[in-house]
Formats: sequence, C-alpha cells, structure tokens
Amino acid sequence: MTPVIVAESLTKYYGARLAVDGVSFDVRPNEVMGLLGPNGSGKSTILRILTGYLRPTSGTVRVAGYDVVTHGLQARSHLGYVPEDVPLYSAMRVIEFLEFMGRVRGLDRTGLRAAIDEVIERLSLGSVRGLLISKLSRGFRQRAAIAQALLGRPKLLVLDEPTNGLDPRQIIEVRELIRTLSRDLSIIVTSHILAEIERVAHRVAILLEGKLLVVHTLGAQGAGTRVRVRLHGADETTLRSFLASKPGITIVEAVPSLGVYMLESAGGTVGAIRTLVEGGFAIEEVGASGSGLEEMFLRLTEGVRQ
Amino acid sequence: MKHFLPLLTKELRALFYSPIAYIIIAVFLVLMGYSFTLTLFLNKFATLIHIFFQSAGLLFLLIPIITMRLFAEERKAGTLELLLTAPVRESQVVLAKYVASLAVVLTMIALTGVYAAVLGMFGAPDWGPIYSGYVGLVLLASTLVALGLAISALTSNQVIAAIVAIGISFLLWTIDSLAAMMPEGLERVLISLSLLAHFTPFATGALYTSDLGFFVSSTLLALFLAMRALARR
Repeated sequence: MTPVIVAESLTKYYGARLAVDGVSFDVRPNEVMGLLGPNGSGKSTILRILTGYLRPTSGTVRVAGYDVVTHGLQARSHLGYVPEDVPLYSAMRVIEFLEFMGRVRGLDRTGLRAAIDEVIERLSLGSVRGLLISKLSRGFRQRAAIAQALLGRPKLLVLDEPTNGLDPRQIIEVRELIRTLSRDLSIIVTSHILAEIERVAHRVAILLEGKLLVVHTLGAQGAGTRVRVRLHGADETTLRSFLASKPGITIVEAVPSLGVYMLESAGGTVGAIRTLVEGGFAIEEVGASGSGLEEMFLRLTEGVRQ
Repeated sequence: MKHFLPLLTKELRALFYSPIAYIIIAVFLVLMGYSFTLTLFLNKFATLIHIFFQSAGLLFLLIPIITMRLFAEERKAGTLELLLTAPVRESQVVLAKYVASLAVVLTMIALTGVYAAVLGMFGAPDWGPIYSGYVGLVLLASTLVALGLAISALTSNQVIAAIVAIGISFLLWTIDSLAAMMPEGLERVLISLSLLAHFTPFATGALYTSDLGFFVSSTLLALFLAMRALARR
C-alpha cells in the first residue's frame, strides 16, 4: 500500500538551533502513527512541516504523493490539522466556523451542507452548533477543531497533543474517536504521555532532541504476551533454571533485588501465573506490561542522554 | 476565487461585526465634519482642499488601528496556523485582508461625499479638484492599508504593529523635508518617496500618471512584502 505520508531526512533549524535532525518515516493508509517524545523533542515542528506551516531547512515530505513545499495546495487539500492549543475563531459560531473552513477547503454549497451535517453528527456537536466558539468548553473546542479538520474527507488527520487540557472522560472520548476515525483515514498524533500513545497508535516514532530514535510497532515484538510479576523471596537462579524447562515462557528483563521480572509468555498472563504457581513461586503482584513501549522509551532516551 | 470569497467574507465580518470599524468611522466623520463646518463658515469658499489634507492626516493614525490586528491577532491566537495549513494561497489570504480593510476605509471616505454634496447644493464648487482629491485619498488609503498589512504580518503584537505602521507612514509622508539637506542624487530619491509630494497634486486638482504609478506600485510592493513575510516561516 502506498504510504499517505513519506518524510525523508527532515531537518529544521530555528536560527542556529537544530530542532529536527534528519527525521525519516512514513505513515500507511488507515494507520495511527504516534510521535512520542518529551517537550521540546521536535514533535510539533515535525507536524508543522508536514502540514506546510513551516518549511523544512532540508529534506522532503510527500502527502498523498504531493510534496508539501512544491505542491503545497494539493498536499494540504489531503490533510486536516488540529494544532496543539486548538486555535479557533472565537468570535464565530460553531456552524459559521465549520462553513468557513469547509468553503476554504473548496467544498461547494451542496457538498458543504452534507459535510457539515456529517461532522456535526460524528463529533456530537449538534447541541452547540449555534453557540459562539468563545463560549465552548475545552472538550467542545477540541471537537469543533477535529470537525473542521475532517471536512472534505482528508486522507490524513494530524493531531498535535489532542488530549491536552481535557478531563479523563474527554480523554477517553478522544481516544475512542481516534480509533473510530482510523477506519477511514490515516492519523498522526503526538503526545508526551506514553500511555496515551500506547492506547491509540499502531506504530510509534520515538523522538528525542530532534532525532528519531526508533519507529516501534506496538504489540509486535516477540510471540507472546509480556507480563510483569513481583515474586516474594524468589531466587533468580532458581527461577531461571525452572523456566528453562518450561517452553513458551522466558525472562525478558529482571530486577532481582526487587523481585521484579518481565516475562514473555506464549500462554498469556494466565499461562504465566499457572507456570509460576506450579513452580512454587509466591506471586505478590502481576501486571500486564502492554507493549513494552515504556521500557523501550526509557532505554533509548537514557542511551542518548548518556 | 473559490477560496478568496470565503476569506474575504470572513475578514469583512470580523471588521464589521466588531465595534472597531464603526468607532473609527464615527471618530473620523465627527472630526472631519467639525473641520468642514468650521472652515466653511470662516472662509466661505466652496472647496475641499483642506478636508483632503486633514483626512490624509487622520488616515495615518486610523488606518494602522484597522490593520494592526489583521495578521498580528491571528498569529497570537494561533489561527494563522489553521488558515495557512488549509488549501489556500498566501496571496489569497493577504488580498482578502487588504480588500476588507480597504473597504472600511473607502466607506469612511465615501461618507465624506456628503460635504461635496453640501457644497454643490449651496455653492458652485470647482468639481475637478474635488474628484481628483477623492482619487488621491483612495490611492493614499490603498498604500497605507497595504503598508499596515505588511507590518502586521511581521509581528504577533498588535500595539507594535500599529506604532511601527504610524511611524513609517509619517516618515514617508514628510521624508521630502529632509531632501533639502541631502546631496542632489539622494534628494531626488527622497522626494520621489514622499507620500505628501505625490498626494498634493491630487488634492489641488492636478492628475499625473507618475503619482498614480507611485501609489499603485507602492501598494503592490507592500502587498508583496506582506506575502513574503507570511512565506518566511
């Protein structure tokens, strides 16, 4: 499948400061790509380059096959963008704002009406369509911003820190929305919160100080489930020799002083617990480790900082 | 055109839905009305020459207040990012803001037409200088709006945008005063840059294509600079 975005060797200097350093990645159709990194790691700059707001110092980005610098109009017509602080025209009503953005995106009168009805329905904006944007809550502002980005059915949705400033319920709603939308289009989403990215993205690009450290596919390392266990009074050598005789379960990482072990289990969490109980190990705590993203992020960022 | 019209509508709404445009128009008309009446009663001459010069002076102060928010406000609020990542050209964004702001100023100038009507009803004015004076005012307004727009595109601070625009406009208005102190080559350059030197013939009833060319080319140059300022990201 042809990627929706191909970024090659993107570099951006702000004066003498290097903000993005030779970043390359792609985003495939219907894929949610997460950009993860601490504040100041270059995430927003990369998004601004992808969306044509900033020019790269060097490197290229193609959106739906169009270079964002040389064929900016065509490239931009294939993407919808929600910047970090959700800037909206506060003096407009929600419906006026959507009409304006729809017309700017080139929708004709008939198409505009249908497109607005569709996004209002999808984002549940019906109750606030006549309200001034300045009167909206943060959650509704976020929805209005996503709604305008979806007008004209772009192939790519770019969301910069979409859960910033939202309450827990709104965060869950945005997460669900991203999952639903990815059935129809590709999404790039940034966050400095690892758990957020982990829950919505298919792949994650980890950035630090403008450099792309790795593109990590979530849920694809190893054959089994990763399980984190804390054992009471367990001896590491005994555990290792016991597990060596058990197929389908291995130790990935160990912190023996704390009794904490990261296991990869072909039989899932239940299989791992059964095996450990069978071996007579006292389990104090069990947790699903998820994607292993946290460990990878810490390892990579630690490596760079040292 | 498909993208330009919604951009223009948005700018017009922003200007005419806020009280700023009405306050500026009202202040302009009150001051000009006062000046027109006073001068007419004292001089009893059916002429608008003084009105044209006083209007020009007020335009230097009022146009930067109209143009200061055009880009500075959008840059500060972040909506410029939303606008420039939509499939529109920078030139369309600049032109929409220019046309909308000029529309406010033209409305203001057009309303002073009532003075000419009063002169026509109660006296026998020489219409030539009145027509040319209005052409001059429109051309001067066009240059000042484009200049204010270009300066607004360089900053996110509206106050800075207004003060710099007022400063540069006044400098360009009076720059020919410096000419006498300069060497001959530079003297000509300074005179040719003077807004006053190019506006005076219009206000006094003389139309020269060189003056027309100056205002048109300075407007185009300022609009071009605004587009470059936007493109430099």
